[in-house]
Amino acid sequence: MDMFLGCNDLSVRYYNRSEHILKNITLSINKGEKVLILGPSGGGKSTLISTLAGIIPEYIEAEVTGQVFLRDNVGIMFQDPDSQFCMLHVDEEIAFSLENRSVPQTEMDNIISDLMNQVGLKVDKKTPIDTLSGGMKQRLALACLLALEPEVLFFDEPTAQLDPAGRKEILEILHRLSQKTNQTMIFVEHMLDGCIEWMDRIIMLNEDGNVIGDGEPEDIIHHFTNEMKEAGIWRPKLYPSKWIEVIENPSHPLSIKLSKQFKSKCQTAMKDYKIENPVISTENVTIGYGRKSIVKEINLTIDKGEWISIVGENGSGKSTLLKSLIRLEPIKKGNIFIHGKELTNWSDRELYEQVGFVFQNPEHQFIADTVFEEIAFGGSQRNWPEELIYAKTKRLIQEFGLEDHENKHPFTLSFGQKRRLSVATMLLFDQALLLLDEPTFGQDEKTTYKLMKQLKERQKQGTTIIMVTHDMDLVDQYSDRVLLLNKGKMAYQGTPFGLFSNRDILQKTKIIPPLHYQLMHERREEILV
Amino acid sequence: MKVNHSFLATINPSCKLFSHVLVMLLLMVITDVKVTFLIWFLAVLIGLFLGGWTISYLLKRLCPFFGIFILIFWMMAAFGKGQETIWQWAWFHVTQESINHGLTIAFRMLAFVTYGLLFTSTTDLTVFIMSLIHQCKLSPKWAYGLLAGIRLIPLFQSELNQLKMAHKVRGYKEKNGWKMFLSYAVPMFTQGIRKSERIAIAMEARGLSRAKNRTYYRTTKVALKDGGYLVSILAIVIVMIIIFR
Repeated sequence: MDMFLGCNDLSVRYYNRSEHILKNITLSINKGEKVLILGPSGGGKSTLISTLAGIIPEYIEAEVTGQVFLRDNVGIMFQDPDSQFCMLHVDEEIAFSLENRSVPQTEMDNIISDLMNQVGLKVDKKTPIDTLSGGMKQRLALACLLALEPEVLFFDEPTAQLDPAGRKEILEILHRLSQKTNQTMIFVEHMLDGCIEWMDRIIMLNEDGNVIGDGEPEDIIHHFTNEMKEAGIWRPKLYPSKWIEVIENPSHPLSIKLSKQFKSKCQTAMKDYKIENPVISTENVTIGYGRKSIVKEINLTIDKGEWISIVGENGSGKSTLLKSLIRLEPIKKGNIFIHGKELTNWSDRELYEQVGFVFQNPEHQFIADTVFEEIAFGGSQRNWPEELIYAKTKRLIQEFGLEDHENKHPFTLSFGQKRRLSVATMLLFDQALLLLDEPTFGQDEKTTYKLMKQLKERQKQGTTIIMVTHDMDLVDQYSDRVLLLNKGKMAYQGTPFGLFSNRDILQKTKIIPPLHYQLMHERREEILV
Repeated sequence: MKVNHSFLATINPSCKLFSHVLVMLLLMVITDVKVTFLIWFLAVLIGLFLGGWTISYLLKRLCPFFGIFILIFWMMAAFGKGQETIWQWAWFHVTQESINHGLTIAFRMLAFVTYGLLFTSTTDLTVFIMSLIHQCKLSPKWAYGLLAGIRLIPLFQSELNQLKMAHKVRGYKEKNGWKMFLSYAVPMFTQGIRKSERIAIAMEARGLSRAKNRTYYRTTKVALKDGGYLVSILAIVIVMIIIFR
């Protein structure tokens, strides 16, 4: 058989596991094809592309049976922007690829400039890599791959660790590149918006590592809706409909759905809110180190039981603001009050009984050896009676769906479970205020909505929630108010409806509102025209 | 390690390192106060005239070491042995010999620090590693691995800060030092191993070990002035040793 790229009856097993991760897979991928591989996490998607790229079993050990048809020149892009570089500056990093290919030194400078243009990396060649944003790092990673002049490009969740703006940038560049060069590209992604529109083919894996679907994107989306939902894949909001159709045809099903959503939002937006029982308030707070101020002149008051989202571009100071509310960042000017008492007057112990903080990386918070001990930790430190600890911990374990994992080590949980555990550990004292730093970052659709539901439940019981996020759909669906930071200053404070219907602010701060608002803006424009 | 635009920054890093190490070796066998002082002073002069240092930079960098200087001097001087007692009170016993000893050791320490600083403040890290490949025949595999490892240091620093914050919020206090260490070390190690494994795979996937006739983007050569630097610095030191012995 003469194949461009593919495998025949391929099975893969890692030596430390008894089960095969991939079973009897037969695939043939044609030159120039854009293929998307989908499946549940742990279902072997990454293993499949690593095998097709030749990394398994060459650099990652595993037992591989069956035939694999490889290409000699391939490039593979990984999800973590920080762990694919080995040099300190941009030009050296691209040169590393060229050096490996033995390109003469005299040609390198021109090639490097060309590649940087091609991926839209408009920075000085000597820029240190650590100073680049996540999106820029992935552009650089792409330039490094193109420097290899690969026949096939593999992408292992290239945008999983980027914010929506960075994600959009990267996918647009890839799309443009694919049109220009007709490069063969193979993707693993768990968020379909932005890439499914230009894929030729989708391969769907199941949990056991079998191929269950292989075909045109539209058919697969249609046939495997439930499997995708189960696998936690972020299904496209628009595809296979076309935006232009939705705008022009008011009787389009999606158009009707969006209009309905918009109307119901309109109604909720009419309610005014009054602050009766402020949990936390700030007066002219400026945060920063030395002479530098990261966030300036913040005034806000948050009522008991509110759900607040903090949004803004990367580097706008969202996390810094959130951390300053519990003294994790130094305040230069102004005051913060929690329950009417100045922040500096709280002792650590009292403060953290009132306020819980969920960090972006759940692993940082874990200190105990089992899930049970992890949640019970604060109680045992305060010498609570055994029965009380037991009762409260059990309740939290149940609330966050961790019953089956009570005795496991926190580090062995899945990503979604780790996240839920990190939230549960912050609720042992029934904290009145819960601060969350991008709690859904990198999570799949299923675990995201599970977490949101649990938080909503908590909010109903009176917990105040302040969450930093990039996901505007969550902002729209769950929060009562939204704070928008732009370059360290408060640019908007009010209902999500107010923010998403204000086109000027959206454009200035590069925020992309949920679809139903976009539809409304388009409609309005049409009326004006 | 950041480079400035001085003459010293243009010297081949391996050559520079070799010269400084030779001077340091000589320092170890010299027991004379005057010569030790002069060798240290030579480093200061090189820094100011060839290394692009300003007086304020020099003072800022060496300030903490002056503290150690006094400490070492006092320890050696006040408790040393010797015949010619200068001053004696309670258990302090200062002699001519012990003062000499103290000053020699203290200046030796200061000279070591200054020569080290002279190297790090004028050498670009990447160029240094490249020079190790070209002049010291270090295998590229090790050299690039070393660079990748150095990149991880700032990442670990921010990781540690995050961990500290998270522990603070959870009210984690551990009196047992070993357990405390583990609570930081385990997550950092797991993260470190995971990251370095990923980096290694990424580097291999880009063909690090497949390269047959590897070319280099940056090459370093040994020129006449590099040899000149080595010879003149050694000559000055040796002349000083001979004259002031």
